[in-house]
Amino acid sequence: MTIDVSTVQTPTHSATPSTPVTVPKITINTTSERGVPEVKIAIKDLRFYYKNFEALKGINLDIYDRRVTAFIGPSGCGKSTLLRILNRIYDLYPGQHVTGEVLVDGHNILAPGQDLNLLRARIGMVFQKPTPFPMSIYDNIAFGIRLYEKLPAQDLDIRVEQALRRAALWDEVKDKLKQSGLSLSGGQQQRLCIARAVAVKPSVLLMDEPCSALDPLSTQRVEELIAELKSEYCIVIVTHNMQQAARSSDYTAFMYLGSLVEFDETESIFTHPRERQTEDYITGRFG
Amino acid sequence: MVDSVIGLSKPSNRMRLQQLQDTLFRGTTKFFALAVLALLGAILVSLAIGAWPATKTFGFGFLFDQSWNPVKERFGGAPAIYGTLITSLIAMLIGVPLALGVAIFLTELCPPVLRRPIGTLIELLAAIPSIIYGIWGLFVLAPFLQLTVQPFLKVVFGDIPIIGILFGGAPLGLGVLTAGFILAVMVLPFIASVMRDVFSTVPVILRESAYGLGCTTSEVVRDIVLPYTRVGVVGGVMLGLGRALGETMAVTFVIGNAHKISPSLLAAGTTISASLANEFTEATGALYSSALIELGFILFVITFIVLAAAKLMLLRLDRRSAK
Amino acid sequence: MSLYNRRRATNFVILALSLGATGLGLLILFFILGSLLAEGIPALTLATFTQTTPPPGSTGGLANAIYGSVVMTLVATLVGTPVGILCGTYLAEYSRGSWMAPVVRFINDILLSAPSIVIGLFVYQVVVVNMGHFSAWAGVIALAILVLPVVVRTTEDMLNLVPSGLREAAFALGAPAWKVVVMVTYRAALQGMMTGVMLAIARIAGETAPLLFTALNNQFGSTNMNAPMANLPAVIFQFAMSPYADWQRLAWGGALLITFTILILNIVARTLASWSGSTK
Repeated sequence: MTIDVSTVQTPTHSATPSTPVTVPKITINTTSERGVPEVKIAIKDLRFYYKNFEALKGINLDIYDRRVTAFIGPSGCGKSTLLRILNRIYDLYPGQHVTGEVLVDGHNILAPGQDLNLLRARIGMVFQKPTPFPMSIYDNIAFGIRLYEKLPAQDLDIRVEQALRRAALWDEVKDKLKQSGLSLSGGQQQRLCIARAVAVKPSVLLMDEPCSALDPLSTQRVEELIAELKSEYCIVIVTHNMQQAARSSDYTAFMYLGSLVEFDETESIFTHPRERQTEDYITGRFG
Repeated sequence: MVDSVIGLSKPSNRMRLQQLQDTLFRGTTKFFALAVLALLGAILVSLAIGAWPATKTFGFGFLFDQSWNPVKERFGGAPAIYGTLITSLIAMLIGVPLALGVAIFLTELCPPVLRRPIGTLIELLAAIPSIIYGIWGLFVLAPFLQLTVQPFLKVVFGDIPIIGILFGGAPLGLGVLTAGFILAVMVLPFIASVMRDVFSTVPVILRESAYGLGCTTSEVVRDIVLPYTRVGVVGGVMLGLGRALGETMAVTFVIGNAHKISPSLLAAGTTISASLANEFTEATGALYSSALIELGFILFVITFIVLAAAKLMLLRLDRRSAK
Repeated sequence: MSLYNRRRATNFVILALSLGATGLGLLILFFILGSLLAEGIPALTLATFTQTTPPPGSTGGLANAIYGSVVMTLVATLVGTPVGILCGTYLAEYSRGSWMAPVVRFINDILLSAPSIVIGLFVYQVVVVNMGHFSAWAGVIALAILVLPVVVRTTEDMLNLVPSGLREAAFALGAPAWKVVVMVTYRAALQGMMTGVMLAIARIAGETAPLLFTALNNQFGSTNMNAPMANLPAVIFQFAMSPYADWQRLAWGGALLITFTILILNIVARTLASWSGSTK
């Protein structure tokens, strides 16, 4: 299969706005939903340095496709850093460097010459605070699509609608698409950002504490959204909210002081942690 | 192959186009950033070239020669340089205490509701163009000073030896003192706004702990705020000085335009910028123009040094408060 | 008098002096504005806006000078602003870790306060001497050089205020850097950047010194950018320094026009800036 953006075709079609959208390009199905998950991202001996400080000390981790993987740990443990390596957003800042390998579908994204824009178009990201662009709701979504695809206006309309439906925002904004994205409430803004990220059809979705700035009701909506989206995406979520990790993730990685302490299915981590530190953290003894 | 599966390393034509645009945009911004550097260099070089005939003819003596004779083509920069320095000195002596007062008022005394409007009004003093200060100085301030302040100064200081010389001669209204006074008003808003900004970098906890010891407001300013912000305050004063040195139109209107160094502050004088404004377009003869350009070059170098020093001091304060 | 009372008295005196200094500053501001209104309003008639500058002793207006000032100010802004924005963009978005940024920033801040008459002298040397005559174009170049540092400074400051999260979000969609800057960062900083441009216009609208050696002045109405052009500041200078009462009155009229235009620009720019500050 095949997501070369230059060849992504516009949804020709049957997808009338009311039917749930299928992301059409992901056609491999070597594993069924309930079967053995396939490794999407393989992290191998990843070390990250900020100036001379080693912020990540040799991480080895497999992240599975169509599953939600949560990174948890006390602040400063490197969970956000790890997430920000997966789309190389850290490259925006000087004084940082990284060794090891991150294989996305077997392809090392840390290799020199990796085209960062292309990488980031494939690996979507949602940030801690909602970051609507200072433009209309419609343009917020269309911005990312227009970057890589030249679509006729009608098809673009369809894509925008699909994305907003994906993010369960369509009904709330369909009558005010021309209004500024900044006019939405915090929870709506965050769903707008999720819609914006899925609109470019990434295969991985990174979420950096996506609910930390939201009220409980909006948090619940975003969590429901994550549950829906995981049937199509590989989702990685950083959270310091352990209930959230327990509720929404399939796998959990516990990190401490730049090292990966434990990684397992979420249920096992929360019921029978193997490591003492993990147990201490999830039972609230520190962190 | 895996690569083609995800397409991570297969830039399309569109990608290549975007990379090209990226490089172009970055290059353009960098080009114009370099243009700012080049501009400074170009100013220095062009003025130095223009000043060359005069520099060659008069040498270093230009700085100390008092003659200014277009007919005999003998030019000395001393009166203009002296006038520039003395008017700026007067401006600083009057303007700095006033600016300090304004800054103290705005940060310590002013009710918060009025802080913004009053601060804005003071800053509007800086928005009034130089030429307006000039016309106001010529028609309103100079007659006013001639009738009130200058006779008063003569009565108070006139008979004291040495100091009396500074206020000798008839009170004309126009002259060095009036120019200095106008400059003081013009630099006041610049200095006051820098002072106000640097005062606000004093950590609240420092201020509060001094008040906690029972200090009065003026003691907090003198013993805590001023020592803490010393570098920034001096930087602000230097910034004002840089402005005063190069100020042209306001001074041209009121200084009286005489190429001579007079001991009295009430007498007419000239400054570099006033000489340029008055004489440059009428200067006949290459040497005359060149002498004026040399004055301009000297002015630029002096203000450059003063402004650079001001900037370095303010940067030092920034760095400290960033910690 | 006890020590405490003496301290209180000192405090009182110092605070009274600071109040006095502020009062004096405001007094001078109102004194200037009052003089302008008193002397300038009688000079403003319809003829001021319709007729060109007169020879001494006859009636006339400032139409050619107003035209020249407006045209040269606008063209200089159009030339200086894009250059300033691009340079400010480099400083804010591209210069991380480069040696150039602190140097350019430093030089720009010096140009911001450099004597404008020296800029006039520079343009005279480079443009007027080479063209062989004074011209409105030379005036435009001098004014554009004055616009540049103001716009560079505000552009950089305003772009730095844009939260880095917004940039990261745009990059995370795979946007190339230039699109992030042009389509996202500029939009977020738009109000602040407009403020900078307005302040730059206010700065050059009243500039006289750099025009004296470049655009010079013109007794007649001229729309030829390649010839000397009348402008309000130069006319005010010439008329105010003259011994003729008619000319002096027109000078006051022009002074009133310039000052209030500039004050309004300043106040609008500040309001714009405080709005953009409050919505973020």
